[in-house]
Amino acid sequence: MISVKNVYKDFGENGEIKVLRGVSCEIEKGERVVILGPSGSGKSTLLRCMNLLEQPTGGEVWVAGDLITAPDPYLYPEWLKQSATYEKMLRRNKKEDEALEEICRNRLLSKREGRAFENMRKAIEKEKRLDINLARRKMGMVFQHFNLFNNLTVLQNLTLAPVELKLKTQEEAEEKALELLRRIDLEDKRDEYPAKLSGGQKQRVAIVRALAMEPDVMLFDEPTSALDPEMVGEVLDVMKSLAASGMTMVVVTHEMGFAREVGTRIMFMNEGVIAEEATPEEFFKNPRHPRLKEFLSKVL
Amino acid sequence: MNFFEGVYTLFTNPNYMQSLFKGLQITLVISVAAAVMGLLLGTVVALITICPDSPAMKIPKWISKIYITVIRGTPMALQLFIMFYVIFTIRDFPEIVTATIAFGINSGAYVAENIRAGILSVDVGQTEAGRALGLTSGITMRKVVIPQAIKNVIPTIGNELIALIKETSIVSMIGMYDLTMAAKIIGSGNNMASYLIPMSVVALFYLAIVYMLTFVIKKIERRLRAGDKR
Ligand SMILES: Nc1ncnc2c1ncn2[C@@H]1O[C@H](COP(=O)(O)OP(=O)(O)OP(=O)(O)O)[C@@H](O)[C@H]1O
Ligand SMILES: [Mg+2]
Repeated sequence: MISVKNVYKDFGENGEIKVLRGVSCEIEKGERVVILGPSGSGKSTLLRCMNLLEQPTGGEVWVAGDLITAPDPYLYPEWLKQSATYEKMLRRNKKEDEALEEICRNRLLSKREGRAFENMRKAIEKEKRLDINLARRKMGMVFQHFNLFNNLTVLQNLTLAPVELKLKTQEEAEEKALELLRRIDLEDKRDEYPAKLSGGQKQRVAIVRALAMEPDVMLFDEPTSALDPEMVGEVLDVMKSLAASGMTMVVVTHEMGFAREVGTRIMFMNEGVIAEEATPEEFFKNPRHPRLKEFLSKVL
Repeated sequence: MNFFEGVYTLFTNPNYMQSLFKGLQITLVISVAAAVMGLLLGTVVALITICPDSPAMKIPKWISKIYITVIRGTPMALQLFIMFYVIFTIRDFPEIVTATIAFGINSGAYVAENIRAGILSVDVGQTEAGRALGLTSGITMRKVVIPQAIKNVIPTIGNELIALIKETSIVSMIGMYDLTMAAKIIGSGNNMASYLIPMSVVALFYLAIVYMLTFVIKKIERRLRAGDKR
């Protein structure tokens, strides 16, 4: 469904803040992947790279078989072999695989790598690249701070995207929206503005706003972290019923109970890499990575 | 002649009244035309400045920046003089057009800054939510960001328009017959021979215009706010 290949992400003027340092993962259809990790380890950044709210500095992201980032030459040996850098290294009597390895390890490619290299890039772009706006329709996202459209009513929040993108007529979109609102028991709030809702209600609306686009996968970035404790339950319940309906989900959270109960796989992020990956039982029973042991001892 | 007698004379003498209304007309025409021009120009410039950096936008962005810096960094009176004595020196070019352009350009720079600040004050989460749903940046701007930005900028734009109306009084410095000039003429030796009365009356005129405008802006503001808090 989503395939993240060796993704790097730097921030700052000169990329001096290195947040993701080579992350690879596959999210298969029907999976519910929970991402755990200490604050600042890059969980949000990884999630935001999946729908390109952040543009990765390196690596590729694929969604349902389509490339949504620029192609990354370091992932294609045959492409690297067309580069001027590679030729230069061979001329200096480097072995072929050593040269390739060194180029990747030290990220040696520069702007000028020759015509053949450029042509290959263009060919891959043309063949595999999908417009990001189309790809995003397949991925719903739920934010920590809800981000409901403040100038629109609850119902309008749900119908805006399907109608503007001409996926549904106004009537169809409203019908679907009302059905979704009924599912979260907020049909009576259809004409309220977000300012009038509680945090828990906002987040439930935010979830169904994403669902109104009928996505194939849902991304959650700490959906309950900004909520008062008594409202966490109602949001988790909506997420659980979504999981039960078979939705593919990627969830960044600090809710260990949810991770254990709902997750099919847990990834532990630490310092910009996925340090450990396991099924929930395995993950909590037999943590291997020292940082994970420390993390679990703190949160459990 | 005491003050109140003077005011009475002014209001009952058809010649004086005619002068005042002639001046009022010019003041209003320049203000309204310059406001319209300033709003259009300001919106365009604001949109250019908030566009993401790209090679195609480089020159427009650069021009916008210089425009805002120069206009906001120099006195309005000087801009008006330059417009009159340096740029529009063609004979018989209508001076009211020249003045309107000068004030429109000036106002546009301030409006641009207000609008830019208004758009930037909308939480980025709003844009991210729109983009994450697959909406283009254009639709997100139009349907989500700009409606919220407008609410933020109405008060500051209102202040800008008020400042503009009052500032048009400097066209009297280049001899144009606006409200302020009317006061000068009525007060001169050939007429009432007292500046106090016509100046006070004209001050009341400005006050009345500004008061009405403030009222309208408050109304608009309240109407927009009613939108999100029902
Ligand atoms: N736009 C940005 N500019 C600069 N630094 C950033 C930016 N976004 C994130 N960072 C930095 O990247 C690091 C990882 O951020 P990220 O939000 O991905 O962490 P996280 O794992 O989600 O943490 P948390 O649990 O606190 O949400 C942090 O140190 C953060 O300061
Ligand atoms: Mg985070």
